[in-house]
Formats: sequence, structure tokens, C-alpha cells
Amino acid sequence: MAEVPSTPEPIQRLVEAFHRLPGIGPKSAQRLAYHVLRTSDQEANALIEAVADVKRRIKLCSSCLNITEADPCGYCSDDRRDRTTICVVEQPLDVLAIERSGGYRGLYHVLHGILNPMDGIGPEDIHLRELVIRLQSGDVQEVIMATNPSLEGEATAMYIQRLIGPAGVKVTRLARGLPSGADLEYTDDITLARAMLGRQEV
Amino acid sequence: MASRSRTYNTEGVVLRRRNLGEADSIFTVFSPTEGKFDAVARGVRKPKSRMRGHLEPLTRSQMHLAQGRTLDVFTQAETVEGFRAIRDNLDRITVAIYCCELVDRFTVDRAAQPQLYQLLLEVLEGLNADAPLTIGRAFELHLLGLTGYELQLSNCALCGATLPAEEALFSAISGGLVCESCRPRATTGRIVSVRAIKAMRFASRSSLGDFAGLRLDEELELELRRALGDAIRVVLDRDTNSGRYVEALAAPLRAGLRGALGDVQSPSPLTSERDSLNAPL
Repeated sequence: MAEVPSTPEPIQRLVEAFHRLPGIGPKSAQRLAYHVLRTSDQEANALIEAVADVKRRIKLCSSCLNITEADPCGYCSDDRRDRTTICVVEQPLDVLAIERSGGYRGLYHVLHGILNPMDGIGPEDIHLRELVIRLQSGDVQEVIMATNPSLEGEATAMYIQRLIGPAGVKVTRLARGLPSGADLEYTDDITLARAMLGRQEV
Repeated sequence: MASRSRTYNTEGVVLRRRNLGEADSIFTVFSPTEGKFDAVARGVRKPKSRMRGHLEPLTRSQMHLAQGRTLDVFTQAETVEGFRAIRDNLDRITVAIYCCELVDRFTVDRAAQPQLYQLLLEVLEGLNADAPLTIGRAFELHLLGLTGYELQLSNCALCGATLPAEEALFSAISGGLVCESCRPRATTGRIVSVRAIKAMRFASRSSLGDFAGLRLDEELELELRRALGDAIRVVLDRDTNSGRYVEALAAPLRAGLRGALGDVQSPSPLTSERDSLNAPL
């Protein structure tokens, strides 16, 4: 039987590379690969450059572990920010979300993960040690836990409270309640109960 | 499968969550009628999702599902019990998650085990009320029994001889206690005290609630935890993830963190004896 002609090896390799990206299935990967094949050299090079630059120029801030080009990062080196509070988040994207809200002017700490007992992700697997070291300077008075309001997020917040609470730092947690545009009818009991606890005078 | 209609209702406890794509999650649910199964909730990570919160791990929910090609899809979910008191306490969360992981690892997909479901509800309700964390030991023992790995506690697991009222070898690999004369034949094991044997016998014939009423001192609790941990490890042929996690929670602060904390005056609760003894493994 004659060998079935297969996709040329470079294309196959590109398809596989795309397929490894999150949210990209085999068909999308193929479409992307063939799209790259058709684009001009200039565009293709721009993509190559962009990917290479991200890997070459982006590093973690030595203080807050956010992704940054300069070390320390823009937030840590900004004198106008409040140095007495640290907001602890799971991932760099959460920093962007909080910045967008415009409601916070302190520093950050990115854990790059979350405690997840089921998957065996423990305190050693996330950037907790660095947070403890930062607190030693004594400047920080409040640590705001901005982990997700999920079981894992809550567990992480409680763990950190236990770890650093005894050192005399105030540990706070983001309020839990109803998102704007939500339906009361479909809200789970726990969120509703917490929203009731955290009610405010109109 | 053909007899089942395209959509169905069930209740269940959410054991775990895995994220899928942009906004979807796959949940592992343990149901009294369906057994353990995985299903997808579409858009559940968006803030406006109506199912979000009703499908958190450690939630008992009423759910409606539609059959999908590979995985079924949640169409509605409503909380029956959210176990809020568990969620507010790190120690209770860890024990509860450990119990959920055991259920996940000891079951196969789509095999109904109503008794095991009942047991899971009992332990979660206990932890949600004021049961001591040692309820986890009774849960382990009953779970082993219900999944076909009942420990031999009154007769020798190897020769069947009645055991005298004295300390004995607990050999997980042999399936329970081993008498004096069979000891050389049991390859591994640990000597357990008469108190531990009595506690295990009591736990195996009484409800979780009754066992929870028992006051176990730290030494005894540790003995039970080690023995039952052996038995579970033999069946699963591995350590549990949450067991290792509990270890990390309870273990004295690692060198790095201890050094980093430096001159902390009050001992962190992480180092307290109470914590390490209440840990499941």
C-alpha cells in the first residue's frame, strides 16, 4: 500500500504548537497554522518577535512577583502608592482587574497559584515565602486577601491569615456579595448570607 | 443508557472542579442514584452565571442535567446545603476535602452507592456542626467497609483465630489485625494498642455521630490515623493529595518560613500540636 501523503513536517509542528495553547482545539490549530502559512513574511516575523520578546524581556518583579519588564515593577517603584498595604492575588491578570477598578492604590503580591488540596498544591508550591519576607520590613500594616471567593480561594486566605496573623499584620478579605446585574433568585445561599451580613446603609 | 431520557434530575455533592476553556468548568459530582460522574457547566466562571455558587466543591445541590456526547451538561443547579460552617474553618475544610478525595478515589464512574453517599453526607453534616475533626477516622473505617475493603478487627486476618484482648499487629496489606503466631507471615504492619483496637471496633459498629461523641486523646488519635492511613494507602497504592496537603498545613513551619518569620513571638497555630494531630494522615 502506498504511503498516504501526510502534512509537511513544519506545518505539522506548527499545528501541534498551536494545539498546546489554551482553548485551541485541533481544528482551530490547523486553521491558525494555515493562516500563518499564508501571511506575509513581515507579519509572520512580527509574531515570532513578539513571542520571543515576551520570553526574553518579561520577568517577575523581585518584590511583588508580578510580571514586569523592569525590576522592580511599575507598582513597586511608584512612590505615590501606599506602601503600608499589600493586596494578595492569585495571578497577574487579577492585578490588571483590580487596577481597572481604580479603587486601590497600594502594592500587590502575586502568588502565581492557589492552595488546592484536591490537586495537592500546597503552600510550598505558591509564592508565599516571598510574602512573609516582605512583611519583615515592618512597613506593611494590612494585607488584603483578594483571592477568588471559591473554596480554594477562601482556604488560601485562611491559611495566609494563620501564617502571618500572629506577626501582628492586619489581614482583611475582599467583601462577598452580589455582582452587579445579578438575579437574587438565582443566588446561592452562601453568597446571599454573606451579602446580608455585609449590608450597608443606603 | 438508552432507557434514560435526554435530561435528568439528580442530587449530589460536588467533589471537585476543573476549569475548562475560557469560562466552563468540569465538576465531579457524587450522587446517590447516578454514582460518581463528571459533567460540564457552561459559562459557570462568568460573574452572571446562575449556577455559580451552587456548584462549588463541598456543596450538596439539586441538579438538572442534559446528556451530552461525551460529558453531560448542567442546565440548572440549586444548593440544598452549602456547609457554611465548614467553609469558615480551615481545619474543617481540609478534613472535608480529604473525605471528598477519598470518595473520589474509591469510586468508579456511574456506579450508584447510596450508602456511601449517606456516609459522605453524615461526615459533612458532622463537620458542619460541632463534631471533632476525629470524625474523619470513623469515616475512613466505614468507607473501607462500604467499598469492599473492610478491615478484619475481631479475628486474625490471616488464620481467622479469635484475637486475645491485647495489643496486636495491624497489617494493612493482610487486611487487618494479625495474631501473634501469624506475625511472621505478615510482611508489614505496626503494633496497635488495645485502646486503638477497641476504638476501631467501636467505630466500625457505630454511626459517625456516636464515634464523634468519643473523646480521643492525641496519642490514640495519632495511632488510629497512622493505622487507617496505612490501610488506605494499601488500597489506593498512593498517598492522597489532600492528605499530603494536610501534612503541609500541620507540619511545623518549614525551615524557610520559620526563618522568614524570624522574631514572631506567639507560636503560629501551624505548629500547634492540636493541628498536627487532627490532620487526617
